[in-house]
Amino acid sequence: MIRHLFKLIWNRKKSNFLLITEIFFCFLVLFGVLSLVTYNVRNYTKPLGFEHEDVWLVTMRPSTDSTAENRQQLEQVLQRVQAFPEVQHVSLTSSNAPFAFSQMMDNLSYGNVKDVQTDVYDVQDDYADVMQLEVSEGRWFGPQDDASHHRPIVINKLLKEKLFGQEEAVGKLIPISDTSNYVVVGVTDYFRASSEFAAESPALFNRINMQKKPDFFWNELLVRVKPGTGVAFEEKMVRQITSIGKNWTVEVSTLEKMRQNKAKLTLAPMIALGFICGFLILNVALGLFGVLWHNISRRNGEIGLRRALGAASSQIYWQFIGEVLVLATFGLLLGVFFAVQFPLLQVFQIESEVYFIALLSAVGIIYLLTAVCAFYPSRQAAGIHPAMALHEE
Amino acid sequence: MITLSNIEKVYQTKSIETVALQHVNLRVPKGEFLSIMGPSGCGKSTLLNIMGLLDVPSQGVVEIDGQAITSYKDKELAHIRNEKIGFVFQSYHLVNDLSVLDNVELPLLYRSSVSASDRTKLAKTALEKVGLSARTKHFPAQLSGGQRQRVAIARALIGQPQIILADEPTGNLDSVMGEEIMNILLDLNRQDGTTIVMVTHDENMAQKTERLVRFFDGQQVSDAKVFANNLQQV
Ligand SMILES: Nc1ncnc2c1ncn2[C@@H]1O[C@H](COP(=O)(O)OP(=O)(O)OP(=O)(O)O)[C@@H](O)[C@H]1O
Ligand SMILES: [Mg+2]
Repeated sequence: MIRHLFKLIWNRKKSNFLLITEIFFCFLVLFGVLSLVTYNVRNYTKPLGFEHEDVWLVTMRPSTDSTAENRQQLEQVLQRVQAFPEVQHVSLTSSNAPFAFSQMMDNLSYGNVKDVQTDVYDVQDDYADVMQLEVSEGRWFGPQDDASHHRPIVINKLLKEKLFGQEEAVGKLIPISDTSNYVVVGVTDYFRASSEFAAESPALFNRINMQKKPDFFWNELLVRVKPGTGVAFEEKMVRQITSIGKNWTVEVSTLEKMRQNKAKLTLAPMIALGFICGFLILNVALGLFGVLWHNISRRNGEIGLRRALGAASSQIYWQFIGEVLVLATFGLLLGVFFAVQFPLLQVFQIESEVYFIALLSAVGIIYLLTAVCAFYPSRQAAGIHPAMALHEE
Repeated sequence: MITLSNIEKVYQTKSIETVALQHVNLRVPKGEFLSIMGPSGCGKSTLLNIMGLLDVPSQGVVEIDGQAITSYKDKELAHIRNEKIGFVFQSYHLVNDLSVLDNVELPLLYRSSVSASDRTKLAKTALEKVGLSARTKHFPAQLSGGQRQRVAIARALIGQPQIILADEPTGNLDSVMGEEIMNILLDLNRQDGTTIVMVTHDENMAQKTERLVRFFDGQQVSDAKVFANNLQQV
């Protein structure tokens, strides 16, 4: 029977061409949107590697150019903020704090491994406590590294694997220039700071040694406060900071707020795409329904004939459902052919699994959609009285 | 064998009630070639549909092979149609999107016991019988009316039914092609012993069958053995 249906659809391919292309495009759009959703959801369910609750980001912008004065005030501010009983840990950071709209990249090479791109986070010794990072190998950097000849760094596991494969990472020297090296002192399991929906990328924590950079001004300060600390303290802290840095502009944001902003950036287009996709599917469904409906009245004679030749009403029903599924299969075969190119050619740097999940779901949804659209017309066809149908021709 | 006892068929539409058949008592013995004649609208097609289990009478009993067809489920009726009855229609009723061969195979598609390769074999044999072996890959649109009707007959006989019900099989054909079709039906009746009930408007055709029943206004008005044969008419 299935062969018969394939034959029937194949012989009718001209009149079914539009439906098949419609199903084909619907599948492709669905596949695209589902790939995106799968990618985001999979990332979302993975750990971030840090705790962002109760962490505030203080941004300080001096208006004077006098670096010496600014730098001196910054050190005072650091001491003052640390002294608050509400504050647990403090770390200066480069502008790429978690969930910030800023990135710092570097290329590393080690031995035969060339040009591994990584995020670089300049942070202080307390950063691990501020963000509550887990160091799984070695240790976080600290004052004991002051005397080191090399620049102490902690890297995430992903970067470790890219640079050293299965080898031990702690103690390895990574060249920065002809004369200087990084030394790996520790490895964190996981660090995914750009967005909850982004995949993890290689990360490198570079120790800020204030003595070695006497002229530098860091604009951003990460502060872990005691749980339950509120807006009142925020105002107090800002007042204290501006009493030291008289002309500074100081802003405070919580990482929670920044997380939400970053999430919106992913969610808004996803929701919009979802709407467009839903609308498209609805359109295809209505079109499909209309065509099927029309087909059945056009094929009255055939239905009567099949009944006369020995088809039970239920067989007519399943024939029509089957035909639609076969029709969908043609569209899907074409669609899957294009869809599998994405994982095969690695068009984007996304795991193949994401595509396969999206592909299977899209196939499932299309089959379900077409079956649902076919349900009512097919029932109608099954209910056609054979004598009446034969009479009408 | 078909037996109709006291058949009545009333079509009930919203405003009007049409009595299509009334007090019909008819016995068609096994192997008989019966023709039915009567003016348009007298209920011939209705009668054939009831015989073919495509429609149910408002009253009365249909028996096929001595089996009264009452309160049969749709599936069982379909099964009997498939096994025992072949249909031929005035307008052929071929599926335009299927090749000649696939059209002929159709009845066997609803017979789970027949394999795909057997279907093809049997369809080819059936097409041979009607002289269309050379047209298996054609589509209905590429055939003449007479050829189409021959395909329809091949389709009706592929399942080797005991009964063939033909509703004006030559109605759309010129006399030469009509003659061809008639000869095929006569062969089927004589060689295979197939019972044939044929509705026709053509007196000449009816004269070639064994028995002629005339209808008028839903009622049987005459029933006669046909004695004249081809040779005597010439
Ligand atoms: N589905 C139906 N609903 C209502 N009335 C019907 C239906 N089918 C047939 N009739 C009526 O029943 C009567 C018999 O119709 P039938 O088709 O059996 O005639 P017929 O003898 O085959 O005519 P023809 O020679 O033109 O084919 C007609 O009056 C017709 O209008
Ligand atoms: Mg008729």
